[in-house]
Amino acid sequence: MLELKSVGKIYQVGEQEFRALQDVSLNVEEGEFMAFVGPSGSGKTTLLNLIGGLDRPTSGEIILDGIKFSDRSRDELSALRRKYFGFVFQSHNLLPVHSVYENVLFPLLLNGEKELEVRDRIMALVDQVGLGPEAHKKPHELSGGQCQRAAIARALVKRPKLILADEPTANLDAENSYNILELMLNLNKKYDAAFIFSTHDEKVTRYIKREIRLEDGSIVWDRAKK
Amino acid sequence: MIRWLIMGIVRDRTRFLFPWLVTTVGVMLMITLLGFIEGIFMSMVDMTAKLDTGHLRLVNKPFYEEEHLNPLDRALASEKETKTWLTQNSDPEIQWTSRIRWAALMDVPNERGETRSQTPVTGMGLDLLSESGSEIKRLGLESSLIKGRLPRRSHEMLAGYLLAESLGLEIDGKVTLLGQSFDGGFAADNYQVVGFVKFGVAAMDKKMALIDIEDAQTTFYMEDMVTDWLGFLPSRISIFDYDKIRNDLQAKLTKWRQAPPGDWVEDDFPILLSVLDQRNMGQISQTFLMVRKVLVAIFTFIMSLVLWNAGLLNGIHRYGEIGLRLALGETHGQLLRSLMIESLAIATLGCLAGSLLGGGFVYYLQEVGVNMGDAFVQTGMMFSDVMRGRLSLVGFLYGIVPGLAASVLGTLAAGVAIYQRSTAELFRELEA
Repeated sequence: MLELKSVGKIYQVGEQEFRALQDVSLNVEEGEFMAFVGPSGSGKTTLLNLIGGLDRPTSGEIILDGIKFSDRSRDELSALRRKYFGFVFQSHNLLPVHSVYENVLFPLLLNGEKELEVRDRIMALVDQVGLGPEAHKKPHELSGGQCQRAAIARALVKRPKLILADEPTANLDAENSYNILELMLNLNKKYDAAFIFSTHDEKVTRYIKREIRLEDGSIVWDRAKK
Repeated sequence: MIRWLIMGIVRDRTRFLFPWLVTTVGVMLMITLLGFIEGIFMSMVDMTAKLDTGHLRLVNKPFYEEEHLNPLDRALASEKETKTWLTQNSDPEIQWTSRIRWAALMDVPNERGETRSQTPVTGMGLDLLSESGSEIKRLGLESSLIKGRLPRRSHEMLAGYLLAESLGLEIDGKVTLLGQSFDGGFAADNYQVVGFVKFGVAAMDKKMALIDIEDAQTTFYMEDMVTDWLGFLPSRISIFDYDKIRNDLQAKLTKWRQAPPGDWVEDDFPILLSVLDQRNMGQISQTFLMVRKVLVAIFTFIMSLVLWNAGLLNGIHRYGEIGLRLALGETHGQLLRSLMIESLAIATLGCLAGSLLGGGFVYYLQEVGVNMGDAFVQTGMMFSDVMRGRLSLVGFLYGIVPGLAASVLGTLAAGVAIYQRSTAELFRELEA
């Protein structure tokens, strides 16, 4: 489904070049539950940004369902993000003035869908992540774990093929982290969406089925877990 | 999506309050300011029209070219026929009235009938005695009367109060007008001064005397003749339509001149003028329009600057939201459009509030006015003592349109920064 061919990324910092990624090649299949692990600065977030079409590689090619990212304009990459990707962030990044329901609704509005037609679907998903009673509460009325659940519902509501989750448990305590990971695993099975984490949290690595270690912008190993 | 955006505006006061306040205050100031200066300008136009030029004026060209000399021999004959023609050929809403501009020596006798004092005066013969009393209302003579009464009979006169002071006139005192008749002969006639009038225009207060038009025709041997036909338009007609109305009537007049009334002489050549053709009013109106444009441009520029900064502040306040929305797949164009919709919605509410407040102020100024009589007492300009605002659709448009335009320009300027920033950069900053 997703193929990275010799992807590299160089940032210009003043007059110096900083090589964030080099020669990264990998394939991701549908329904995978995998993570990029590694120390800070190893290139995990950069790699997620490139996969999500938020940034462009300096070299190499990213291909999703046969679509080459390098051929696409900025607006076309936005359209790809709307269609293929869901995002879960380290901090939940819910829109603070909108309720859980409205936050989950937002990606569908971007896709041009009518609220009346998707209301039941949203409420069902909000229920699935355990936030039914909190659907009309604002983010500031929720706990950190509840906010992250809302963010997961927002990422999944479009039925994307890929969920990119950047350190999704970094701001949660152990119990909430496990709950969130259980939830993601269940949703991964139910919706067959591939989950790609970037993390250095050991709790996450216990759940994932494929682990790719990055160091200094390069893949050190790529292994499946039982 | 629009409902979703509106909910955001309603719930986030920081997003709404400042731009709304800026637009409200700006539009209010603009409507008030323009309403006030338009009121002053139109008051000047109306005063000039009522006292002197009419909104439209039919006058014999030879008279007009030498009107500083009041050449009565160039007056226009066939008064009744002309009135019929004007009534039948112009808009029924135009009120036509005839006047005679005259000049004479005013002689004030003592108790023995010998000259006590005398001075040259300019005067106007106008309808003071008919039952309709339209000229009395038009010139506001009743309220301008500071002593005495209005004329009730033939050969009664109103005098400017400064003229009365300089000649030592008394109410019910006799004066003699000595002048030149229509046919170049000597004209002399006695009048009784029954009232002193304050026109509010120094030149007129010092030199003006008013008599009934039929008395003027008698005194100056001008039977069935007048020097001017003045047309008065309803106030709802814009000054910028005067030229068109004049041109339409002028076209008919040109045809009429081909078969003129029998009493017109060979070199009579009546012409139509609008108030803008006389007393430099055209130039003054151009200056007024220029000032209005400059004010609108300055207002739009300043408001755009303020709203641009408000947009930037708003952008900083909503940085996280913007980064997130781009990450979720909203294009830069969509984002900019949604910001524009938000700013237009806020600006519309601001324009509404600003229009209500500004309209309220102008309405107050229109109905009550500001008395500035002391400031104009020594001027020769035809200003009313009470300066009034004027509510007009144009005034609202000049407030609202720049209000909306400034909002769009300000948001666009602020949005350019967002547009130029790459998604990844916004995303990184969001995560930082």
